[in-house]
Amino acid sequence: MKKLLVLTVLALVASISTASAAYKVGLLSDLTGPTSSVGAPYADGIKAYVAWLNDNGGIAGEPVELIQVDYAYNVQQALAAYKRFTSSGIVAMQGWGTGDTEALVKFVAKDHIPVFSASYSAHLMDPAKAPYNFTAAPDYSTQGRAGLKYLRESWKEARAPKLAFVFPDNPYGSVPIPAMKEFATELGFEIVGQENVDLKAIDATPQLLSLKKVEPDFVWTGGTTPSTAVIMKDAQKLGMTCTFLTNIWSSDENIFKLAGDAANGHFGLQGGVIYGQDVPGMKIIRELTKDQPQMTHYVRGFVSAMVMCEGMKMAKAGGEVTGESIKAALETMRDFDPQGLAPAISYFADDHRPNLSVNITAFTDGKLEFVKTETLERKKEWLGH
Amino acid sequence: MSMHKCGLFYTTYAREDGLFPSKFQKTCLALFFAVLLACPQFLDSYVMSILNLILIAVIGAVSLNLLTGVCGQMSLGHGAFVGVGAYGAAVLSNLGIPFFLALLGGGAVAAMIGMVFGIPSLRLKGIYLAISTLAAQLILEYVFLHAGSLTGGANGLPVDAPEIMGYSFDTDSKIFYLILLVTVLCVLVVTNVIRTRPGRAFVAIRDYHQSAENVGVNLFAFKLQAFGLSSFLAGIAGGLWAHYTMYITPEQFSMGLSISYLAMIIIGGMGSVLGSIFGAIFITLLPEMLNLLTTSLGGIAPDLSAIIVPMKEGVFGLMLVLFLIFEPEGLARKWRLTKAYWKLFPFAY
Repeated sequence: MKKLLVLTVLALVASISTASAAYKVGLLSDLTGPTSSVGAPYADGIKAYVAWLNDNGGIAGEPVELIQVDYAYNVQQALAAYKRFTSSGIVAMQGWGTGDTEALVKFVAKDHIPVFSASYSAHLMDPAKAPYNFTAAPDYSTQGRAGLKYLRESWKEARAPKLAFVFPDNPYGSVPIPAMKEFATELGFEIVGQENVDLKAIDATPQLLSLKKVEPDFVWTGGTTPSTAVIMKDAQKLGMTCTFLTNIWSSDENIFKLAGDAANGHFGLQGGVIYGQDVPGMKIIRELTKDQPQMTHYVRGFVSAMVMCEGMKMAKAGGEVTGESIKAALETMRDFDPQGLAPAISYFADDHRPNLSVNITAFTDGKLEFVKTETLERKKEWLGH
Repeated sequence: MSMHKCGLFYTTYAREDGLFPSKFQKTCLALFFAVLLACPQFLDSYVMSILNLILIAVIGAVSLNLLTGVCGQMSLGHGAFVGVGAYGAAVLSNLGIPFFLALLGGGAVAAMIGMVFGIPSLRLKGIYLAISTLAAQLILEYVFLHAGSLTGGANGLPVDAPEIMGYSFDTDSKIFYLILLVTVLCVLVVTNVIRTRPGRAFVAIRDYHQSAENVGVNLFAFKLQAFGLSSFLAGIAGGLWAHYTMYITPEQFSMGLSISYLAMIIIGGMGSVLGSIFGAIFITLLPEMLNLLTTSLGGIAPDLSAIIVPMKEGVFGLMLVLFLIFEPEGLARKWRLTKAYWKLFPFAY
């Protein structure tokens, strides 16, 4: 017991004394909590890019040091982790979920710490409300609108396509629904219904039975991959012929493991490319991962770190690297190409939407396939909605 | 087991009834507070934020212990009552009402809602009441999400840092004094309530409701009082949380929060104010300690860290189970035993 105590104390001391002169960046990850299945590959992507950058000159010769904390998707732990980061002197942060990103909005604004999170809630893209928040993918509403645009363009029949929504009744699920409904009506969809399926659902038959009656042509799902798999399998069981459009967290490479061939023929939205896709940046990822396929979340994490580091490089070119200078630099970023791994990114002082381009993927025979990048106009009235 | 120093003779009942009967206790407490008050001078914002989180957790745990540990009314909806207080205080604050009034207002709203959900406690006991309070949790979470005009819905509600007479408590160190003051008041309130007539009625109800009724305790009135006071204090904890984090969303007041408060009072010691404090400290610090450990192991042995990180939640669970097996009466009893050991040393009796 005493030995264990001594070892623990030694380990703690070692952790405190491993300080260096690098640019410190906080990495808030969910490695053990409810979103860890996607949080871990996302964090791996961030770490991989930073490791690659440090091996290739860092920020004008200075390395970037990541301080990773697993907060298990708990807001209180996220708050403590953030304070730990700021005490360590971070200049920027890679965040994760909606709850923690929102809880930290005012802190990061006060402390001038730019945050790149994987929460794509529309209100976090509005600098008037969240001045230090950035993302590397467009907001949930934009993603949904782009998906609907694609479906409408590919619709060949003379009648209006029928659309239904299935989402969990929580902040993440419900946040883009009003925007999508409005845009769907504008595009000429007929909205025929909406149902709630919980993220932990193991059966969606009752909800799908009511949807079956209204015969939708398309069904939007905004949940997680497991809940989407349940919906797809039950829809197949009930003989529904609709096509599903799944949001960024509702489908990934695991969809086929969970839903089997019930996933075939449906579509997903992504903020980055699929592993192995022919873009310049994929060469680095393939080298780093020794050709071991990674999830699309890994690619998005990689891009998120790349954009943040590009902002740091720009800040360095203009003088000192601080939270404020990184934010100012990012706001001058125009059409930065993350080596093809995601659509080009621009930020503005009054608009933090990285772009309005979304990658559409199709689920075909056990594989995600890139279909096209759908781009919308950067409309002011969509900012934050 | 309550032991006082030899030679401590009381000459009045009031002195015997005092919270801190000996000078030694008073000195220790004064020293403790002196150290606590000096903390912001030499601790960084990380440690201060942990202290703030602990203090807010102490209020939540003490209030739940009053309801569950003292009065015997199981509650799985405490997190939601904290949420009601947070939203109440935030809305009032955003309307321009001064901080302390907004805090009290949030507590009052939480008390009213708590009493409404406490009504079934006349008919329901134990696990049945637990499920009925779980229903309160689900209903309130739904309201937080869907009463968008009031709560901000899915987008959440921004709140400003507390401001009193133009002075803004906008750093961890500044707000610490404010939270400490409110926490001390709340702990004193609960400690004293337990020593009053309603407090004794609560204990009677917990021990056996029929006997309590036989000796003239109005079950319904006292159960409602317990729900009301407990929810009021939970609301105060919520109000502090809202002003501290400055942004509240429905996700922050989920089932997980209710369970973590329950874990605090079970680990700390049911029915004990001191136990609630210990439990709040333990449950708040444990994930931080595990994080520090896994991070430091990552520096020394990255391979080992890769194995331990996924086990973190399991280690957390294991600690709880081991506690329940080896110290079912919680940290409060451990504290009493430790004190007794030093008092009796070197004799074991």
